[in-house]
Amino acid sequence: MRKKQYTLMKVVFLGPAVLSYLTVFLYPTLRTTVMSFFKVDSITDAVSTWSFAGIENYRSLFASTLFLRSMENIARIWLYGGLLVFAFALLFAVILTSGVRFKSFFRAVIYLPNVISAVALGTMWMQYVYSSRYGLLKEFFQSFGLRGLAQIQWTTPEHIFGALLVAYCFGMVGYFMLIFMAGIEKIPADFYEVATIEGAGKAAQFRLITLPLMKGVVRTSIVLWTISTVVFFIWSMVFSPLSPEPGTVTPMVYMYQMVFGANMVVIGRNVGAGASVGVLLSLMVLVIFLISNRLIRDDGFEY
Amino acid sequence: MKRTIVLAVALAVTAVAVVAAPVVKLVYWSMWNQTEPQAQVLAAAIEDFEAKNPGVKVEVNWNGREIRKTLQPALDNKQVIDMWDEDTERVVKTWGAYALKLDSYVTKRYPTTSGKAYKDSVMASLLDLSRSYAKDKGLYAIPYQPFVFAFMYNKEHFAKAGIASTPKTWDDLLADMAKLKASGFTPMTVDDAYMDCLPGYYLAREKGYQWVQQLVKDKTNAMWSDPAVLQMAKAYENLVKLGYVSNTAASNKWPAGQQDVAAGTVTMYLNGTWLVNEIMGSTGPDFKWGTFSFPTVPGGKDDATAANYGAQAFEISKNCKNPELAFALIVHLTTGKWDAELAKKSYGVPVGGTTDWPVQLTEAKSIFKGLKTCYPWAAGIEADTDKAPVITENFAKLIGGTITADQFVEAMKK
Repeated sequence: MRKKQYTLMKVVFLGPAVLSYLTVFLYPTLRTTVMSFFKVDSITDAVSTWSFAGIENYRSLFASTLFLRSMENIARIWLYGGLLVFAFALLFAVILTSGVRFKSFFRAVIYLPNVISAVALGTMWMQYVYSSRYGLLKEFFQSFGLRGLAQIQWTTPEHIFGALLVAYCFGMVGYFMLIFMAGIEKIPADFYEVATIEGAGKAAQFRLITLPLMKGVVRTSIVLWTISTVVFFIWSMVFSPLSPEPGTVTPMVYMYQMVFGANMVVIGRNVGAGASVGVLLSLMVLVIFLISNRLIRDDGFEY
Repeated sequence: MKRTIVLAVALAVTAVAVVAAPVVKLVYWSMWNQTEPQAQVLAAAIEDFEAKNPGVKVEVNWNGREIRKTLQPALDNKQVIDMWDEDTERVVKTWGAYALKLDSYVTKRYPTTSGKAYKDSVMASLLDLSRSYAKDKGLYAIPYQPFVFAFMYNKEHFAKAGIASTPKTWDDLLADMAKLKASGFTPMTVDDAYMDCLPGYYLAREKGYQWVQQLVKDKTNAMWSDPAVLQMAKAYENLVKLGYVSNTAASNKWPAGQQDVAAGTVTMYLNGTWLVNEIMGSTGPDFKWGTFSFPTVPGGKDDATAANYGAQAFEISKNCKNPELAFALIVHLTTGKWDAELAKKSYGVPVGGTTDWPVQLTEAKSIFKGLKTCYPWAAGIEADTDKAPVITENFAKLIGGTITADQFVEAMKK
């Protein structure tokens, strides 16, 4: 009699969650994977109108200069942006946990860009900060007499990727700073006290105490950063609102264009190709997750 | 007690009256945002239509341009949508399968068509254009808000620079730009949104738009070695060298470039006649607008009779339960009083034959009259959605002066 009760309880309590998972998460994933092997015109087309295309969608992706450029772009965002964001986030986290005054104020200010909608931020960067006519950067450099820097046009094809990267990283530093701060604050203060008594300087403490004990946090942050890079979409769309441009295109933007059609009159829609982009991106995140788990082992210190 | 009975009877009578009066509903999905002048005029026109047709209720969904993405899924979901509008080419090619054939409707007469059949009281060239997009050349979309793509310019600048007439050839254009520069104006600018129209139109003037489409669809990139491409690149490289192009042209993120035109620092801008309405907020109604068609080029074959022209257009759903009523609404919106209101409030081109054109578009009228060939958007240079961003990027570098004409051709051949 007892076993039966437990079964019923399991079904009742797990049922809704499992059902939601299957319908909202697993079913779309499977359907998208299947779709990636067909040529589909509109996302709401009936399955009978799909035409089998084998791996043609994948092949067309790797033949498309725009798609390859988009992969190159997120690789550069991941590497350069990642280094930039992690460096600054770690720096700010260390400073703010070292007992400066007004810690709450600085923490709030640095985190503030995360609270504001990306569309609003992006538009401000694009039409105000980077403007070649009256932009913030231009005025700032001119007031310091740095003519050469003031004349740089930040939204030309040559510079727009860098402009996008700086604007994006500016906002992301706060997010990772908070994560790192939480990681540092977990480390007992005794370790630092002992190190100071023993004569270790701040830099040595950082290198020998903080960093090793932050491994788990850093590994999680790498996965989070990878996910946010792989789904990089809003900032690209704000910097290139009407049509994708090679300087800012990312796979998600390419997928959006494939699924919903370009903004031009010739729409070039192929939902199957969009689905294959999705499949590739998921695989990428999985691979990076596995690799980072392998490389950065949690040493399992107890403290 | 007596009062209660009277009240109950009154309520019963009203209920019966309400139930008895048949309410016919039309659902219209619009491409306009509620705040745009076109939407405001259409809303007033629809109210007028409801007043003239008691028992009819029109439910409007002001989608904005998102309709490009939301309409088809809604139609596939069997949602009740009786009519919609968007660019003529788009409604016929993308949504034509959902639309009703309207050939028999346009031969009839309506209250606002002054005794003529509908098709004789609107711009015939637009109805022909609408037919040309359909596979069976039937009429599925009824155009309104026409536009033509040409150089929009500031007439006051031309007057101050002593330019008597608009340029017809590329050399005329160079001479005029020299005069403008001498008078202290920046002759021309462009935005990223329209960047590819500049090379597109030059190449189409040289060899026709079909050649341009072949050029961009050629996967081997061999056609880019054609001397016509180099001639085009050198022509624009020359403009940049002579200082006729705004120095922010490469970095202009729409609408930065057209705002320069509104501010009165730049004279010319290759765009559609909708530009007048689009920057009316910054220019005010006293801005002296002029229009001239993209000039002919040395050794070229096309002239001012070829340009991208088109319109937005209405379509009626195949499943519409009241197609005659829907068509009557379309006639109401596109002829007579409301066609005039629409043209006036949106500074746009009227589609009814007897309506006056806004004064800002007077010069566009002669361009419209002479049109024989309809270019696709950007003269066909966007025919390959993969290549288009690469063309825009490289041309932006050319117009910004950071690469030469030869480098442009080399970059395109890769």
